[in-house]
Amino acid sequence: METIRLVVNGQPRELNIDPATPLLWVLREQLGLTGTKFGCGMALCGACTVHVDGNAVRSCVTPVKAVAGKRITTIEGLSSDRSHPVQKAWLQVQVPQCGYCQPGQMMSAAALLAVNAKPSDADIDDAMAGNLCRCGTYARIRKAIHVAAELARSAK
Amino acid sequence: MRTTELMVKQEISSTPLDRRQFLITSVLTGGALFLKCAVRPEQALASAETAGAKVIPLNAWLKIGTDDSVTIIVSQAEMGQGIRTTLPAVLAEELGADWSRVRLEDSPTDPAYRNPRINWQFTGNSESTPSFFELMRQMGASAREMLIAAAAKKWNVDPATCRTESGKVVHRTSRRTARFGDLVEAAAKVNPPAKPALKSEKEWTLLGKPLGRVENLSKIDGSATFGLDFSLPTLAHAAVKQCPVFGGDVASFDRSSIVGFPGIVDVVKIPNGIAVVAETYWQAKSALDALNVTFNEGPATSVSTDSLRDDYRRAMEGNEWLLVHVEGNPDALHHEYPNVPLAKDTIPTTGANAAKETYPTVFSQEYESQFLAHATMEPMNCTARVSGDTVEIWAPTQGQEITRLTLAGVFQLPKENIQVSRTFLGGGFGRRLVAFDFALQSALISKAVRRPVKVIWSREEDMQHDIYRPATLHRITAGINEYGKLRAVSHRLVSPSILQFVYAPAVTDVYDPSCLEGLLETHYEIPNIRVDFKLLHIPVPTSVLRTTGYGPNIFAWESFIDELASKKGIDGYHYRRDLLANSPRSRAVLDLVAQKSNWDTPAPTGHYRGIAYADAFGTHIAHVVELSVSKDRQVKIHKVVCAADPGTVLDPDITTNSLEGGIAWGLSCAFQSEITFDRGRAVQSNYHDYSILRMPEMPPVEIHLMSSGARPLGGVGEVGPVTLLPAIANAIFAATETRFRSLPLSKHGFSLA
Repeated sequence: METIRLVVNGQPRELNIDPATPLLWVLREQLGLTGTKFGCGMALCGACTVHVDGNAVRSCVTPVKAVAGKRITTIEGLSSDRSHPVQKAWLQVQVPQCGYCQPGQMMSAAALLAVNAKPSDADIDDAMAGNLCRCGTYARIRKAIHVAAELARSAK
Repeated sequence: MRTTELMVKQEISSTPLDRRQFLITSVLTGGALFLKCAVRPEQALASAETAGAKVIPLNAWLKIGTDDSVTIIVSQAEMGQGIRTTLPAVLAEELGADWSRVRLEDSPTDPAYRNPRINWQFTGNSESTPSFFELMRQMGASAREMLIAAAAKKWNVDPATCRTESGKVVHRTSRRTARFGDLVEAAAKVNPPAKPALKSEKEWTLLGKPLGRVENLSKIDGSATFGLDFSLPTLAHAAVKQCPVFGGDVASFDRSSIVGFPGIVDVVKIPNGIAVVAETYWQAKSALDALNVTFNEGPATSVSTDSLRDDYRRAMEGNEWLLVHVEGNPDALHHEYPNVPLAKDTIPTTGANAAKETYPTVFSQEYESQFLAHATMEPMNCTARVSGDTVEIWAPTQGQEITRLTLAGVFQLPKENIQVSRTFLGGGFGRRLVAFDFALQSALISKAVRRPVKVIWSREEDMQHDIYRPATLHRITAGINEYGKLRAVSHRLVSPSILQFVYAPAVTDVYDPSCLEGLLETHYEIPNIRVDFKLLHIPVPTSVLRTTGYGPNIFAWESFIDELASKKGIDGYHYRRDLLANSPRSRAVLDLVAQKSNWDTPAPTGHYRGIAYADAFGTHIAHVVELSVSKDRQVKIHKVVCAADPGTVLDPDITTNSLEGGIAWGLSCAFQSEITFDRGRAVQSNYHDYSILRMPEMPPVEIHLMSSGARPLGGVGEVGPVTLLPAIANAIFAATETRFRSLPLSKHGFSLA
């Protein structure tokens, strides 16, 4: 057991925990942030995607020790009022079906838009290839990312 | 499973449709619909928006508060198909409710909330909309008439001069209005009308428009509670390892191998496996990975994909087929094997003594579909609390009632002592219709550790202990006369069972109706049709997966039809169109897809098109795929166009989303996904070796919906992939002049560019 400090959704957190525990399970079990999902445990599906210092990271294979001292953002911290352009776009385009993969999809999309204000379809393919959706909402995810980019630009 | 079968049979017969405890029923002619729904007093639980308001049930599906709140009961599991929006909207439409004030409450496990057509509480087989549509209309309309009667009495006017809108009763001539909340107490005393008038479609204000999914706010901020997210005080977590070989079990395990692991609560033997229970899931999983377990693998270790293929081949070449369907002359094509008719009337009297025909051209081909895993994004999981003589379950389940019955049987408790509550499902696709594994495990473990327990399967457990979509083998033969006319078709199907674990009463040792879906409802005009079936018994567990029998059957049939078209030198659209001359609904869908895909205009150089049509789950659907194929068999899908007619489109956006997703699902099945077996176990274990479609492979898609007005309504949850697969195979034939008759196409070196 080790003491590990993180900043999660803007709040400093101190945990006494096995440092090998994946960030996913720390978020879900120690911090009660269940919006981040378990899908594969091998960084194959992207359901567990969160931001670490702004970058999209698969939390299921990230030992909590590796992110000590870093800023973590989960779907719950994307905005406090569903006002992030990605959230607005996801609602406008009515992306979700079962919805289980969507927090991971949205975190990957938000990370893309943070560095690429006007992504092309090819940029979207590259950034989203690691996020699986078994319901098959890819066409809507693509559309929603374009809408989110538009919303973010018009807000500036 | 035999025990479950008996239990299901007894349960259904002991609770016939017209004797449900919740309902004072009156059965309409032409359909089992419940008009009068009395309600147990405890159902009138407070769910008022404002403190002090009374909430009054008007039937088993609807409660109205004196504060104007409208609460609609949801009986169906939400797994992405949008049913949580659409069925309540049907009731709200007839009621004249203010949609923005409607709240939803999940039904308990109770016969009152059974599917009225099948008399069984479950969510699957694309049944929800077709089966509940009329019932929801009746419930809404009945309550509307009760509210109007109360208002008319109050105003001393003719009820016929009143209507409802946005949560109010309105008197047409005087424009007086009364809110539902002010009327509900009086309305509850009105006798429910026997035949409430239903709105015409022209009067609809909610149905036929995109309403937006009711739960989407929770799906964009992470607050939606899936099974994996459900929690209880003092909840312990269990990780499980099941014998990798089907039918095997744990031989021994060594507790000392995990001494010192933190948080361990217990190690519990479960049927065919072992569970480590700990305070957190990660603690349980870490210890499970270190636990020394040996398995008794049992007799199935010789099973492999090759041995199964031999089983299928022997079945196809063997005798004693079950003759399941005949149109016209059953002996139009020569059959050398003995057969057993399914029922006395399987052979129509008109066909039995029909004159033999001989055909100058007899054409025969075989087709194969593969084993598939569901691979829902949310792995199997379930939370149970067993205390004293009660079992409580919170599960992402499609099978509320089978869960109750299974647990009642195992725990030897009255079924009323088992309560099953649903969470959101992170995908279902048929996997979550059973209870004998994840749900039973959670209850057994909870009982053993005397705490509430959540079982979570790893992805590897989920994939290697799925109940797989069975592979199929088809042989289709056509007799074509001297004028080139298709006169006779014989379809022989070898398939393991689909329904054995989810609805055992429908299955016998030789028959499973789900395997035959799509072979009995062709609209093509073919005078002589016969279908023979062989139910194959294999050690691999098999069950329902999105598209059920329709998927493999329509792949085979629509590929074959395409072969006949090309033999005749006619394109696939016009060949089908000619065969559908007397089926206007079919033709309309086929024409629409052809028109929207510019079928009659040549494709760009190097692009090739394929088409397929079917009536599946009551929805008529057609796809056109346009693709190109490189020399190294990389397939670029340029566009997929889909046309569908479910009778009436209740929510165009939800329907469109489902059909778009169906294309992604179908592309995975066509090109990528396959479960293989070796040494009695599934080879694939996670998304690296069980591929499903990813974003860069998703082609542009176009969905075109039609409402023919046909009834009963068709389902749209599963139909999306059905005609896509043959349309792909047909387009690849157009591109390569080679016919590929087995799936996935990765077997033949094809991949998606």
